[in-house]
Amino acid sequence: MMSEPSRKSGISQAIRWFDPRGRDIGTIAFILNRITALGLTFYLFLHLIVLGQLAQGAEAYDGFLATIRSPIYIFGELLVIAAGLYHGLNGIRVGLTSFGIAVPQQKKLFYWLLAIAVLGSLIFGIRMFTA
Amino acid sequence: MIQSTSGPKTGETFWLWFLKIITGLFIILLLLIHFVVNHFVAEGGLLTYADVVAYYRIPIIPIMEIAFLIIVVSHALIGLRSIILDLRPSRQTLTAINWLFVVIGIVSVVYGIWLIQVIVAKGSA
Repeated sequence: MMSEPSRKSGISQAIRWFDPRGRDIGTIAFILNRITALGLTFYLFLHLIVLGQLAQGAEAYDGFLATIRSPIYIFGELLVIAAGLYHGLNGIRVGLTSFGIAVPQQKKLFYWLLAIAVLGSLIFGIRMFTA
Repeated sequence: MIQSTSGPKTGETFWLWFLKIITGLFIILLLLIHFVVNHFVAEGGLLTYADVVAYYRIPIIPIMEIAFLIIVVSHALIGLRSIILDLRPSRQTLTAINWLFVVIGIVSVVYGIWLIQVIVAKGSA
Protein backbone atom coordinates (compact mmCIF):
# COMPACT_ATOMS: atom_id res chain seq x y z
CA MET A 1 0.00 0.00 0.00
CA MET A 2 1.89 3.02 1.25
CA SER A 3 5.44 3.45 0.03
CA GLU A 4 7.74 4.94 2.61
CA PRO A 5 10.65 6.83 1.05
CA SER A 6 12.62 9.38 3.12
CA ARG A 7 10.28 9.67 6.08
CA LYS A 8 10.91 13.12 7.41
CA SER A 9 9.06 14.09 10.53
CA GLY A 10 5.49 15.18 9.94
CA ILE A 11 6.08 18.50 11.67
CA SER A 12 8.98 19.73 9.52
CA GLN A 13 7.07 18.68 6.44
CA ALA A 14 3.99 20.50 7.63
CA ILE A 15 5.98 23.70 8.14
CA ARG A 16 7.76 23.44 4.78
CA TRP A 17 4.38 23.05 3.22
CA PHE A 18 3.26 26.56 4.20
CA ASP A 19 6.46 28.19 2.92
CA PRO A 20 5.56 30.06 -0.29
CA ARG A 21 9.13 30.95 -1.35
CA GLY A 22 10.17 29.75 -4.77
CA ARG A 23 6.82 28.14 -5.51
CA ASP A 24 5.15 28.30 -8.88
CA ILE A 25 1.62 29.56 -9.31
CA GLY A 26 0.09 26.08 -9.30
CA THR A 27 1.63 25.32 -5.94
CA ILE A 28 0.40 28.62 -4.55
CA ALA A 29 -3.10 27.74 -5.78
CA PHE A 30 -2.76 24.41 -4.01
CA ILE A 31 -1.48 25.94 -0.77
CA LEU A 32 -4.33 28.47 -0.74
CA ASN A 33 -6.75 25.62 -1.36
CA ARG A 34 -5.42 23.80 1.69
CA ILE A 35 -5.36 26.83 3.98
CA THR A 36 -8.94 27.74 3.06
CA ALA A 37 -9.90 24.06 3.52
CA LEU A 38 -8.55 24.07 7.08
CA GLY A 39 -10.27 27.37 7.83
CA LEU A 40 -13.60 26.23 6.42
CA THR A 41 -13.43 22.91 8.28
CA PHE A 42 -12.75 24.78 11.51
CA TYR A 43 -15.72 27.04 10.75
CA LEU A 44 -17.98 24.08 9.93
CA PHE A 45 -17.50 22.47 13.33
CA LEU A 46 -17.66 25.82 15.12
CA HIS A 47 -20.91 26.54 13.28
CA LEU A 48 -22.39 23.18 14.31
CA ILE A 49 -21.42 23.62 17.96
CA VAL A 50 -22.62 27.21 18.14
CA LEU A 51 -25.98 26.42 16.55
CA GLY A 52 -26.56 24.13 19.54
CA GLN A 53 -27.77 27.38 21.16
CA LEU A 54 -30.97 26.85 19.17
CA ALA A 55 -31.82 23.93 21.45
CA GLN A 56 -31.56 26.25 24.50
CA GLY A 57 -34.51 28.31 23.35
CA ALA A 58 -35.29 31.81 22.13
CA GLU A 59 -33.48 33.77 24.82
CA ALA A 60 -30.20 31.92 24.46
CA TYR A 61 -30.18 32.06 20.67
CA ASP A 62 -31.21 35.70 20.34
CA GLY A 63 -28.64 36.61 22.97
CA PHE A 64 -26.02 34.76 20.98
CA LEU A 65 -27.06 36.57 17.79
CA ALA A 66 -26.68 39.91 19.57
CA THR A 67 -23.13 38.96 20.59
CA ILE A 68 -21.98 38.09 17.08
CA ARG A 69 -23.07 41.43 15.67
CA SER A 70 -19.83 43.08 16.77
CA PRO A 71 -17.23 43.94 14.09
CA ILE A 72 -14.77 41.22 15.11
CA TYR A 73 -17.32 38.48 14.40
CA ILE A 74 -18.42 40.16 11.18
CA PHE A 75 -14.78 40.19 10.11
CA GLY A 76 -14.57 36.48 10.92
CA GLU A 77 -17.65 35.87 8.78
CA LEU A 78 -16.02 37.81 5.96
CA LEU A 79 -12.99 35.51 6.18
CA VAL A 80 -15.37 32.54 5.84
CA ILE A 81 -16.96 34.14 2.76
CA ALA A 82 -13.55 34.86 1.20
CA ALA A 83 -12.29 31.34 1.93
CA GLY A 84 -15.51 29.81 0.62
CA LEU A 85 -15.37 31.84 -2.59
CA TYR A 86 -11.76 30.91 -3.26
CA HIS A 87 -12.14 27.25 -2.30
CA GLY A 88 -15.34 26.81 -4.32
CA LEU A 89 -14.04 28.53 -7.45
CA ASN A 90 -10.66 26.81 -7.29
CA GLY A 91 -12.50 23.53 -6.70
CA ILE A 92 -14.33 24.00 -9.99
CA ARG A 93 -10.97 24.51 -11.73
CA VAL A 94 -9.42 21.45 -10.07
CA GLY A 95 -12.52 19.36 -10.83
CA LEU A 96 -12.49 20.37 -14.50
CA THR A 97 -8.78 19.76 -15.02
CA SER A 98 -9.01 16.43 -13.16
CA PHE A 99 -11.24 15.21 -15.93
CA GLY A 100 -8.96 16.65 -18.61
CA ILE A 101 -11.12 19.72 -19.29
CA ALA A 102 -9.51 23.14 -19.84
CA VAL A 103 -6.07 21.84 -18.83
CA PRO A 104 -4.11 24.28 -21.06
CA GLN A 105 -6.19 27.23 -19.80
CA GLN A 106 -5.84 26.46 -16.11
CA LYS A 107 -3.40 29.27 -15.34
CA LYS A 108 -5.71 31.81 -16.90
CA LEU A 109 -8.64 30.23 -15.03
CA PHE A 110 -6.71 30.59 -11.79
CA TYR A 111 -6.12 34.32 -12.28
CA TRP A 112 -9.77 34.83 -13.15
CA LEU A 113 -11.06 32.91 -10.16
CA LEU A 114 -8.67 34.79 -7.89
CA ALA A 115 -9.95 38.10 -9.27
CA ILE A 116 -13.59 37.02 -8.79
CA ALA A 117 -12.89 35.81 -5.24
CA VAL A 118 -11.16 39.07 -4.28
CA LEU A 119 -13.84 41.23 -5.91
CA GLY A 120 -16.64 39.15 -4.38
CA SER A 121 -15.07 39.38 -0.93
CA LEU A 122 -14.78 43.16 -1.31
CA ILE A 123 -18.44 43.47 -2.24
CA PHE A 124 -19.48 41.27 0.67
CA GLY A 125 -17.17 43.20 3.01
CA ILE A 126 -18.60 46.57 1.99
CA ARG A 127 -22.16 45.31 2.36
CA MET A 128 -21.50 43.61 5.69
CA PHE A 129 -19.80 46.60 7.27
CA THR A 130 -22.15 49.28 5.95
CA ALA A 131 -25.49 47.49 6.34
CA MET B 1 4.20 24.90 -14.71
CA ILE B 2 1.00 23.92 -13.01
CA GLN B 3 0.82 20.17 -12.59
CA SER B 4 -1.30 19.07 -15.53
CA THR B 5 -3.91 17.04 -13.68
CA SER B 6 -4.73 16.10 -10.14
CA GLY B 7 -6.08 12.83 -8.91
CA PRO B 8 -6.16 10.39 -6.04
CA LYS B 9 -2.96 10.26 -4.02
CA THR B 10 -1.27 7.36 -2.28
CA GLY B 11 -3.61 5.96 0.35
CA GLU B 12 -6.68 7.60 -1.17
CA THR B 13 -8.80 5.27 -3.26
CA PHE B 14 -10.27 6.40 -6.55
CA TRP B 15 -13.79 6.35 -5.12
CA LEU B 16 -12.91 8.44 -2.11
CA TRP B 17 -11.27 10.99 -4.36
CA PHE B 18 -14.24 10.91 -6.72
CA LEU B 19 -16.63 11.35 -3.79
CA LYS B 20 -14.64 14.43 -2.72
CA ILE B 21 -15.12 16.00 -6.17
CA ILE B 22 -18.82 15.11 -6.38
CA THR B 23 -19.60 16.32 -2.85
CA GLY B 24 -17.67 19.50 -3.70
CA LEU B 25 -19.94 20.10 -6.67
CA PHE B 26 -23.04 19.46 -4.56
CA ILE B 27 -21.80 21.86 -1.88
CA ILE B 28 -21.53 24.65 -4.45
CA LEU B 29 -25.12 24.02 -5.57
CA LEU B 30 -26.56 23.54 -2.07
CA LEU B 31 -24.63 26.49 -0.66
CA LEU B 32 -26.12 28.73 -3.35
CA ILE B 33 -29.61 27.45 -2.53
CA HIS B 34 -28.88 27.73 1.22
CA PHE B 35 -27.81 31.37 0.79
CA VAL B 36 -30.71 32.36 -1.44
CA VAL B 37 -33.29 30.65 0.77
CA ASN B 38 -31.77 31.95 4.02
CA HIS B 39 -31.55 35.54 2.85
CA PHE B 40 -34.37 36.03 0.36
CA VAL B 41 -37.09 33.42 0.87
CA ALA B 42 -37.11 34.08 4.61
CA GLU B 43 -37.91 37.79 4.39
CA GLY B 44 -35.04 39.94 5.64
CA GLY B 45 -33.04 36.84 6.54
CA LEU B 46 -33.04 34.50 9.52
CA LEU B 47 -32.28 37.07 12.18
CA THR B 48 -34.13 35.74 15.22
CA TYR B 49 -34.91 32.45 16.89
CA ALA B 50 -38.54 32.77 15.74
CA ASP B 51 -37.36 33.22 12.12
CA VAL B 52 -35.35 29.99 12.31
CA VAL B 53 -38.26 28.02 13.79
CA ALA B 54 -40.62 29.38 11.11
CA TYR B 55 -38.06 28.59 8.38
CA TYR B 56 -37.87 24.94 9.49
CA ARG B 57 -41.63 24.62 9.21
CA ILE B 58 -41.27 24.62 5.43
CA PRO B 59 -41.37 20.84 4.76
CA ILE B 60 -38.46 20.65 2.29
CA ILE B 61 -36.05 22.64 4.50
CA PRO B 62 -35.17 20.00 7.14
CA ILE B 63 -34.49 17.47 4.38
CA MET B 64 -32.35 19.94 2.43
CA GLU B 65 -30.37 20.94 5.51
CA ILE B 66 -29.76 17.32 6.54
CA ALA B 67 -28.55 16.46 3.03
CA PHE B 68 -26.34 19.55 3.09
CA LEU B 69 -24.92 18.55 6.48
CA ILE B 70 -24.04 15.01 5.37
CA ILE B 71 -22.40 16.25 2.17
CA VAL B 72 -20.39 19.03 3.84
CA VAL B 73 -19.17 16.82 6.69
CA SER B 74 -18.13 14.09 4.22
CA HIS B 75 -16.25 16.55 2.03
CA ALA B 76 -14.52 18.16 5.01
CA LEU B 77 -13.38 14.85 6.51
CA ILE B 78 -12.21 13.33 3.21
CA GLY B 79 -10.34 16.57 2.52
CA LEU B 80 -8.79 16.68 5.99
CA ARG B 81 -7.71 13.06 5.54
CA SER B 82 -6.00 13.87 2.25
CA ILE B 83 -4.08 16.69 3.96
CA ILE B 84 -2.99 14.23 6.65
CA LEU B 85 -1.86 11.78 3.95
CA ASP B 86 0.68 14.40 2.82
CA LEU B 87 2.30 14.17 6.25
CA ARG B 88 3.08 10.49 5.52
CA PRO B 89 1.32 8.89 8.48
CA SER B 90 2.29 5.36 9.45
CA ARG B 91 -0.21 2.67 8.64
CA GLN B 92 -1.37 2.43 12.25
CA THR B 93 -1.83 6.19 12.48
CA LEU B 94 -3.84 6.21 9.28
CA THR B 95 -6.07 3.38 10.51
CA ALA B 96 -6.68 5.29 13.74
CA ILE B 97 -7.47 8.45 11.78
CA ASN B 98 -9.87 6.59 9.50
CA TRP B 99 -11.85 5.36 12.49
CA LEU B 100 -11.66 8.68 14.27
CA PHE B 101 -13.05 10.46 11.21
CA VAL B 102 -15.83 7.91 10.76
CA VAL B 103 -16.83 8.52 14.39
CA ILE B 104 -16.60 12.32 14.05
CA GLY B 105 -18.69 12.15 10.88
CA ILE B 106 -21.40 10.01 12.43
CA VAL B 107 -21.52 12.07 15.64
CA SER B 108 -21.76 15.35 13.67
CA VAL B 109 -24.58 14.10 11.47
CA VAL B 110 -26.53 12.53 14.35
CA TYR B 111 -26.10 15.73 16.38
CA GLY B 112 -27.23 17.86 13.43
CA ILE B 113 -30.31 15.73 12.81
CA TRP B 114 -31.14 15.86 16.53
CA LEU B 115 -30.82 19.65 16.50
CA ILE B 116 -33.00 20.00 13.41
CA GLN B 117 -35.59 17.70 14.94
CA VAL B 118 -35.65 19.86 18.10
CA ILE B 119 -36.28 22.98 16.01
CA VAL B 120 -38.94 21.28 13.90
CA ALA B 121 -40.68 20.03 17.07
CA LYS B 122 -40.72 23.60 18.48
CA GLY B 123 -42.33 24.81 15.29
CA SER B 124 -45.12 22.25 15.29
CA ALA B 125 -45.81 22.48 19.04
